[in-house]
Amino acid sequence: MNLLLIPIVLPLVSALALLLMREKTRYLKEVLASAAALVSLLAAANIFLLPQQELVYSWLGAGMNFTLRADNLSAFLLLAVSLFSAAISIYSFSLPAKGSSKWFFFNLLMTQSFAAGAALADNMVAMLFFWEGLLVFLYTFIALSQDTAAAKRTAMKAFLINGVTDLCLLVGITITGYIAGTMSMNEISHNKLTLDYGWSVFAYVLLLIGAVSKAGAFPFHTWIPDAAKDSSAPFMAYVPAAIDKLLGIYFLARASVYLFQLNGTMSLILMSLGAVTILVAVMMAFVQKDYKRLLSYHAVSQTGYMILGIGTLNPVGIAGGLFHMINHATYKSCLFMTAGAVERQAGTGDLSKLGGLFRAMPLTGLCFLIAAAAISGIAPLNGFFSKELVYKGALDTGYPIFFWAAELGSFLTLASFLKLGHSVYFGSRPEELKDTKEAPFSMLLPMTALAAICVAFGFGARLPIENFIGPCMVALNIQTPMLSGFHADKLYFVSVIVILAAVINHMLGLAAGGGKPSKSSDHIHYAPVLKEAYALAERRAFDLYEQSMDRVVPVFSLLLFKVDRFFDWVIDTVPSRATGFLSGASSRFHNGSYPLYMALTLAGAVIYILLAAGNGGLK
Amino acid sequence: MDKALLAFLIIPLFAAVLIPFAARYRPRMADILANVTLLAGLANLAWLALSPSMIASEFANLPGDGLSLLLVGAIYLVGLCVTFFSAWFLDENLPNRPAYYSLLLVSVAAMTGVVTSTDFFTLYVFVEVLAVTSFALITTDESFAGVEGALKYFFLTFPASALIIVGLAILMLTLGSLSYENLRIFMSSDIPAGPVTFGAALIMLGFIIKSGVVPFHAWTPDAYQGAYAPVSAHLAGIVTKISGVYALIKMATLLRFFDGRAQALSEMLMFLGLLSIAVGAIAALRQKDFKRMLAFSSISQVGYIVLAAGLGTPLALIGAVFHLFNHATFKTVLFLNSASVERSAGTTDMDKLGGLEHSMPWTSWTSVVALLSTAGVPPLSGFWSKLLIILALWESGLRTYAVLALLFSIVTLAYFMVMQRKVFFGKKTAAAESSPEVSAPLLAPAIVMCGLIVALGLLFPYFYTYLKVVAERIII
Repeated sequence: MNLLLIPIVLPLVSALALLLMREKTRYLKEVLASAAALVSLLAAANIFLLPQQELVYSWLGAGMNFTLRADNLSAFLLLAVSLFSAAISIYSFSLPAKGSSKWFFFNLLMTQSFAAGAALADNMVAMLFFWEGLLVFLYTFIALSQDTAAAKRTAMKAFLINGVTDLCLLVGITITGYIAGTMSMNEISHNKLTLDYGWSVFAYVLLLIGAVSKAGAFPFHTWIPDAAKDSSAPFMAYVPAAIDKLLGIYFLARASVYLFQLNGTMSLILMSLGAVTILVAVMMAFVQKDYKRLLSYHAVSQTGYMILGIGTLNPVGIAGGLFHMINHATYKSCLFMTAGAVERQAGTGDLSKLGGLFRAMPLTGLCFLIAAAAISGIAPLNGFFSKELVYKGALDTGYPIFFWAAELGSFLTLASFLKLGHSVYFGSRPEELKDTKEAPFSMLLPMTALAAICVAFGFGARLPIENFIGPCMVALNIQTPMLSGFHADKLYFVSVIVILAAVINHMLGLAAGGGKPSKSSDHIHYAPVLKEAYALAERRAFDLYEQSMDRVVPVFSLLLFKVDRFFDWVIDTVPSRATGFLSGASSRFHNGSYPLYMALTLAGAVIYILLAAGNGGLK
Repeated sequence: MDKALLAFLIIPLFAAVLIPFAARYRPRMADILANVTLLAGLANLAWLALSPSMIASEFANLPGDGLSLLLVGAIYLVGLCVTFFSAWFLDENLPNRPAYYSLLLVSVAAMTGVVTSTDFFTLYVFVEVLAVTSFALITTDESFAGVEGALKYFFLTFPASALIIVGLAILMLTLGSLSYENLRIFMSSDIPAGPVTFGAALIMLGFIIKSGVVPFHAWTPDAYQGAYAPVSAHLAGIVTKISGVYALIKMATLLRFFDGRAQALSEMLMFLGLLSIAVGAIAALRQKDFKRMLAFSSISQVGYIVLAAGLGTPLALIGAVFHLFNHATFKTVLFLNSASVERSAGTTDMDKLGGLEHSMPWTSWTSVVALLSTAGVPPLSGFWSKLLIILALWESGLRTYAVLALLFSIVTLAYFMVMQRKVFFGKKTAAAESSPEVSAPLLAPAIVMCGLIVALGLLFPYFYTYLKVVAERIII
């Protein structure tokens, strides 16, 4: 078998094999899934190290070939996808709170397979095929992760939001392919489309919607916080934190840089979208009271940095966006894993009931500290370097407002992680958590591995930038200047100021909240204007999905129902009434009266004879 | 007379004379004689039409015009089904058992005479013979409804006979002859038609009344409903079709409707056909009685044949002949099944019936096959004949007629679905509780006919070559 097919076919086959196994078998499913993920990881590493490969099968005709093409960017993405799949499948080995393990691993492997396909596909139709497959398993993943009605509801919400935006993507791809005359992304990149006329703007915007919605940006993010509550930690660590970000940002980069030649306006739109996403989500994250829910808002907020980075359209910004993508996946997966570990050991994710767990779970706590520092952009961890690149890119565009928005986001991120860390790992331990122990080895292993990557990509930032991001930029046909290196310039000092500000804010919050770390955000939560805004947000007033489900959908359904009733009336009631009337009349007429029958017959005969005589008979 | 088929007229007539003597002391002899006569005739016919050499030569050596042969086959088939069914259905102590079989055989002989005659007078004589046997047969069980139905049949078809006689007189005066051939030659010449077509129109009106086309249909529901059960099948399945509809098809070919002579007559016939389809189907929707619904359905199906005959193109005539044949198969099944239901459940009132499929599965499923064929559901034979008729209408540019014919075919399905649900499906009613399946001999005719329906549907391409030969010969 061709090497390129292994990361797609192997998980797929293993997933189907899983379905044959009984639910009761112990560790067999886990071993199979982990083995498949690990072998895929090896294959992905092999693909990454080999020079660019291509695999073409003729498929739908009309220029739509099934083309897999592992250029540097795709191979890098494949490697990342496989890495996280392996990490999560090992992590889930002994986690009970993931629903039925058979279906969990089935969904995991299916998602891996389709994500690998989407990463490798060169033909846009093939990519769309894999992309839509992910949608199906997104639904089943959430719906089967808990046995509650809320899980089904959230699954439907995720499915509908992504279904609608995937439809946009479908239309966008169709138009793009039509304008370009080919569905192959590689061929389009040789002759990029410009945004000079309406159709191509339309097509790009649709592609953009598809990509940022996959990445979970504002306003398509609303299912992620709900999923944090209604599904399992490994799902959150895998799909919204890793796979969706990777694919969404990957395709955003492809569309914005590789397929289209964007102009200044579109760049501004992208950057604004990024900045809004950062701020809205981080404001929400800051006031959350639940471990996973807080993290899930950060998963949205961080997407804003990537979109902002790519939206700058300058090499530094794009490199920053891509680097932030992989960094984010690493630390956010790690953070969700710590959330899962704490939930498993302490039995709750509620911040007000947790505290002082660092002694009990030192390794988990350490991983949390590293990942939290990374997400907050504290030097010299990986998050610092990618954010620095994004900041630099934003400054280079000449619109410093985006830079300040990003810095504000950074401030709030750090502030919320100070709150989170303080509430969970430090402070006094509640009575009920006296016997809490460290998480099992199978959970610690992937967690520490990811934390180690955060550290490694930080201290040795040159390595990933030169070996991963540099080649990706080559694959996107972008000339890159020198990217890496620790600069003690004004950006560094700004970040130090942000750190100090966040610490001071935390102190203030603690003081205002009566020393309880879980209440350290209340001074902002209940500030004069923000209080009302937060109250509205809690009531989901800003959630497009809920609003349309509450307001638009009932009216529309009612309308459709009425239309349906009307057609039903036209094709069912009216004919049946009419025939009923006619046949009733004829039944009454056929009453067996001989004179009546005779009269009818004679009248008919007379008319017939007159007509026959009149028309050519007796003339 | 078509001499090749004369034997099929003489032999049943001879058997009819023989039966009263042979069955004088042993009534069962009547059953045996009648059945054997018809079975032998049918076997003979099958050999004539379906011998391997005949099929190999694509029916090029058919005796006569082929139409007579086909219709004699249909007559014998239905006749055999009815006599076989009657043999197990009749009451043992029915006083006039030999007379019943004699009349049946005379009616078969008369029908054979109708389809083999080559001039109008012979046709008229046999039609009258047929009418007389029918009156007598309807009253077999001497019930009040039977006598009433027979009287209505007699009094309402009496003007028809009068009109035919007048028409014959006019034809004799103007044309000088009553043979089909002379009329055909006259119609293909350029002489202005005038009174000849008027005479033909009167004859045609007589046959329209006899075939029960709306608005001359009023006698059919009463006659079919009142008639003795197996006789309803005989009447609806074949007698009225031969005594009325066959003559209309024959006239349509003789008057050359397809090349525009007698245009007005052709249009009137088509209009009446469509009217019959519509009125029959709509009236059938609300009927409460199984047999009465079948009677209205029969009016509607006759409408299709008359509509096609009125159009008169070769394709339409193939459709008309085929539909006539199909009507004989499916309507016989349905009427025989209604007789079985009457025997088993004691009533044909559909409001009192229900859920019979559990106790009478064979009756139920043969009904389903027959009704699907009537409604024109592929791949049953009724589908092909309706398809041919509708196609012929469409090709001739009569789009409205085609669409309406199609629509009422859906109504056909609707009223038969109502029938099937009320009688066989659904919950068991009190009447259905004590109604066992009828015996195998009573089921046999329906099953054979169903087999024929399916076979004709599936083997339609072969049958089509036969029908094409027929159409080529009757339209010269």
